[in-house]
Amino acid sequence: MPFQRNSRNTRNTPGRPGQRGERSQRGAAGQVRKKRTCRFCDNKEDFIDYKAEKKLQRFVSEQGRIIPKRITGTCAKHQRMLVVAIKRARHLALLPFVSDAVK
Amino acid sequence: MPDTRRVYETTFIVSASLDDHQIDGVIEKVRDLITKNGGEIRELVKWGRKRFSYTIKKKNNGFYVVIEFMAPGDLIAKLERHYFLDESILRYITLVLDKRALKARTAAALLAAEQPAAEAKTDEAAKAAAPAPSPATQSPATTTP
Repeated sequence: MPFQRNSRNTRNTPGRPGQRGERSQRGAAGQVRKKRTCRFCDNKEDFIDYKAEKKLQRFVSEQGRIIPKRITGTCAKHQRMLVVAIKRARHLALLPFVSDAVK
Repeated sequence: MPDTRRVYETTFIVSASLDDHQIDGVIEKVRDLITKNGGEIRELVKWGRKRFSYTIKKKNNGFYVVIEFMAPGDLIAKLERHYFLDESILRYITLVLDKRALKARTAAALLAAEQPAAEAKTDEAAKAAAPAPSPATQSPATTTP
């Protein structure tokens, strides 16, 4: 789907409204811009399993922190589900709360 | 028969320092608790020993078990109380599976069953897709092994 700056369908595009087209020029502090579409929306995945730690690891930094959706390109709805899944996985020690890079 | 039981999923971790026989014993206790109190186990998967991402009770690995079952609502409190009291169960989490989760489950189960199955079975699985019973229940009726 082509990127439309003035489109009302802002739900699945990352970034705050009004800033979407300008982000790359603003020099976003060294962060790499990921894909614009939500990975889960593309696959029509509705349930994010807390037991699939390999999938979840992609959304977690080296330090173990959850990566914001403006970096991963996930949409808000799926980000909320992701966060719940990650926190459950942490409870079951499938993912760490804090990991090595912090030291 | 109207079924007011919900579908739940529990994942729990058994201490890895027990030997296999004892671990099975713990799992059987849980299983009995469920079946004797009006529950029905749909699936029980033993992941086996897995490393933890952080130490729990001074240990670095544990035996993971996932149970999917149907149960009346009041059974859940009893189950969780049991998990809490049993010292060999280190962590537990019980979830209700809602429509989305169930949809994802049956879709995954169908995918998994179709691949190794013979051709006749995939026809059965396709027919079963709408009312979504588990394909495992279909298998006795179909082809030779």
